Amino acid sequence: MNSIEKKLLELNKIEDIQQRSHWMNSLHPLGKLLISVIYILCVTSFDKYDIVHLILMSVYIIFTFAIGELSFKEGIYRMRLILPLLIFVGIFNPFLDKNIVLIAGYEVRGGIVSMLTLVVKGVYTVLAVYALIATTPIDDICYALRIIKIPKIIVIVIMLIYRYIDVMSKEADRIFTSYRLRAPGQKGIAYKYWGALVGQWLLRSMDRAQIVYESMTLRGFRGDFIPSKKSVRALDVIYPIVWIAIFMIIRFAVTG
Amino acid sequence: MHMADALIAPAVAGTMYVLSTGAAGVSVKKVREESDESKIPVMGVMGAFVFATQMLNFTIPGTGSSGHLCGGMMLSAMLGPFAGFLTMIGVLLVQCLLFADGGLMALGCNIWNMAFYGCFVGALLIWRPIMKKGATRAKIIAASIIGCVLTLQMGAFSVTIETLISGISELPFSTFLATMQPIHLAIGFVEGLITSAVLIFVNEARPEMLWGVGEETKKEGKLKFKTTIIVIAVAAAICGGFVSLYASAFPDGLEWSMEQVAGTTELEAEGTVYETAESIQETTSLLPDYAFKDSESAAGTSFSGIVGAFIVAALSAVFCYAFKFFRRNTETKTA
Amino acid sequence: MKTGVSGELLNISGLSFSYEKDKEVLKDIDLKAVDGESIALVGANGIGKSTLMKLMVGLYLDFSGDITVAGHKMCAANLDHIREHIGYVFQDSDSQLFLSTVEDDVAFGPRNYGLSEEEVEQRVAKALGQVGIENLRKSKTYKLSGGEKKLASIATILSMEPDIVIMDEPSVALDPRNRRNLIMVLKDIRGLKIIASHDLDFVMNTCERTILLDDATIVADGATKDILGNEALLQAHGL
Repeated sequence: MNSIEKKLLELNKIEDIQQRSHWMNSLHPLGKLLISVIYILCVTSFDKYDIVHLILMSVYIIFTFAIGELSFKEGIYRMRLILPLLIFVGIFNPFLDKNIVLIAGYEVRGGIVSMLTLVVKGVYTVLAVYALIATTPIDDICYALRIIKIPKIIVIVIMLIYRYIDVMSKEADRIFTSYRLRAPGQKGIAYKYWGALVGQWLLRSMDRAQIVYESMTLRGFRGDFIPSKKSVRALDVIYPIVWIAIFMIIRFAVTG
Repeated sequence: MHMADALIAPAVAGTMYVLSTGAAGVSVKKVREESDESKIPVMGVMGAFVFATQMLNFTIPGTGSSGHLCGGMMLSAMLGPFAGFLTMIGVLLVQCLLFADGGLMALGCNIWNMAFYGCFVGALLIWRPIMKKGATRAKIIAASIIGCVLTLQMGAFSVTIETLISGISELPFSTFLATMQPIHLAIGFVEGLITSAVLIFVNEARPEMLWGVGEETKKEGKLKFKTTIIVIAVAAAICGGFVSLYASAFPDGLEWSMEQVAGTTELEAEGTVYETAESIQETTSLLPDYAFKDSESAAGTSFSGIVGAFIVAALSAVFCYAFKFFRRNTETKTA
Repeated sequence: MKTGVSGELLNISGLSFSYEKDKEVLKDIDLKAVDGESIALVGANGIGKSTLMKLMVGLYLDFSGDITVAGHKMCAANLDHIREHIGYVFQDSDSQLFLSTVEDDVAFGPRNYGLSEEEVEQRVAKALGQVGIENLRKSKTYKLSGGEKKLASIATILSMEPDIVIMDEPSVALDPRNRRNLIMVLKDIRGLKIIASHDLDFVMNTCERTILLDDATIVADGATKDILGNEALLQAHGL
């Protein structure tokens, strides 16, 4: 399986979880978006030596993954893209930060603690975004973005990008496969074909965009996608309030 | 070059969101002024196109490695900087949500580091001036390579600054910079080559599709706009500088603002600020002195604190999984 | 609002069109069609079938001659009225279905025309029922098979309840079973149908009337069995 197919498979998996029937999936997207943003803000705002609060913040992750029946493995797998920069930034901390901090009565080198908190923050933030996207389809997130007054042009463009990722990725896969079949042993596309290969595809894509536009205008498009309204239930309000309250308590009331 | 949430402090993230939102606001206004609805699907499809091309590997002649396409520069050369910028915002958001490339909080940084430089600096300050008198092969190559190299350098520089201001890394500024810049020099050069190859093809096949080519003869009003952009850029730089100062003194923006709002806080904010300021001071000197901190500081953590936190986490895990276990049991019984 | 139209739905007279100067893609087209007809547009590749159909829905307005759709004269001011009466199913379903779920895509047209949510709901249910894909309502558009995508595309047009449905190569890339299914679905669609196709067997099964285009104009217009039965005529015009 090549990397494009792998990526499409990953996309497929996420969409399968998005479509299951689980109460967490049916929560209002705005609430889930708010929880995620505030959670990430809280997690990243802790001091680099502050282990206690970070351990407490795992409560949210544990809850959403356990009760939301999400896979830790899938979530952690998503770390791989940001991991290199994270490691590069953190790996030298143990050598450079020679402060001694007291952790549970033991004297520990500050750099080790700060590296650890960096990794923990990395894991939490990635898992929190995974928890959001696994329970909330992009279209619902777009609906939430509209409520918080993100300009509709941005929201529509996001919806279209999302819709055409699959179409375009499959096209990329076909182009690359047909290239490789005729250029055995090459890892990538050779220099002299760059322009024609991608250029032609680009022009085709512009033509496709034109047809998409025609299809839209013929069905009454006047610059907006009118969404169907989502109803707000009590749980949609209570759920985010409870979580945000818990985050605030951990953040401001619990002293380590 | 995608920044992760864990690498930045909320204050830095917030600042970058403000800057990116400003640029997005200008772009939305500009695209609306054109009132060309047919541009919307083009933006969407081209966004997906950039997304997909980033999955293709291009072999770099003479080496075994591969490169990718420079999205911001190519989009702007096709759609103009404003529509290009908005499209890149979409691409970055989708990448962050679907593939964890970047983070939700770091999105403001990523938009700035990649989309702003690529679209505004790349298209307005490099592409358009070079293409003023019409496009040729050599000019496209020059504009693409200069554009990609320059905008990637600016992006990499911003990544370094944002990370260091956030006080996450102990790396000395010079070391960090000396690593980031050369890597992105090479990447920028290759991206420039690929971008130019694609744009040359477009110029030969359908030249009318390229943005900003031979615009000199058109209306004069453009000049006014250019000055606006330069003003915005300078303002952003100054703003960024001030924010850096603020952020380095108060990396913990949330705590700081809490105190401002409530007037009082139980947080020993002074201690934290002091600690952080100290640690930054130590970071800047290459090998800081052997220091010892007493248990009353924010850095010292008591045994009971650690144990207590673990107990809470463990209890919540036990509770959640037990709940799941019992529910599944009742489900199987009723089934 | 849509006005009830019966009888003549489409009247084209003296229509000429060119993309570039002096290169006429269509010249002197005359065509009348009434409610209930199924008309096939056949002709070699690049002969102007798609252009003619795009002119019928008002995607190009710089033509000479007259086009009247459901009593409305084709001009920029009348486009909104005209498009309430006429729907276009594109050849490429992926371009037609630009939203991520079938439900949203089918509801797109009715919502844009300001129908209430209940009405939109009714239209969606009815359109999906007409093409027999109620089960795919919540599906992601990109996960559909080729045949399902085609049916969903048709549903997006049917939900607007048009009097005229135009289709560009609907049977392309469908397997035999999906193709048979599509023929059944098309037979149940009321109003005027205009179908451009290279698939002559498909045309035989779906259209009573056939218009043969060549050299930028209509070379034959008559009963499908007469035109498709005339080997010499087809051969002479590149089919």
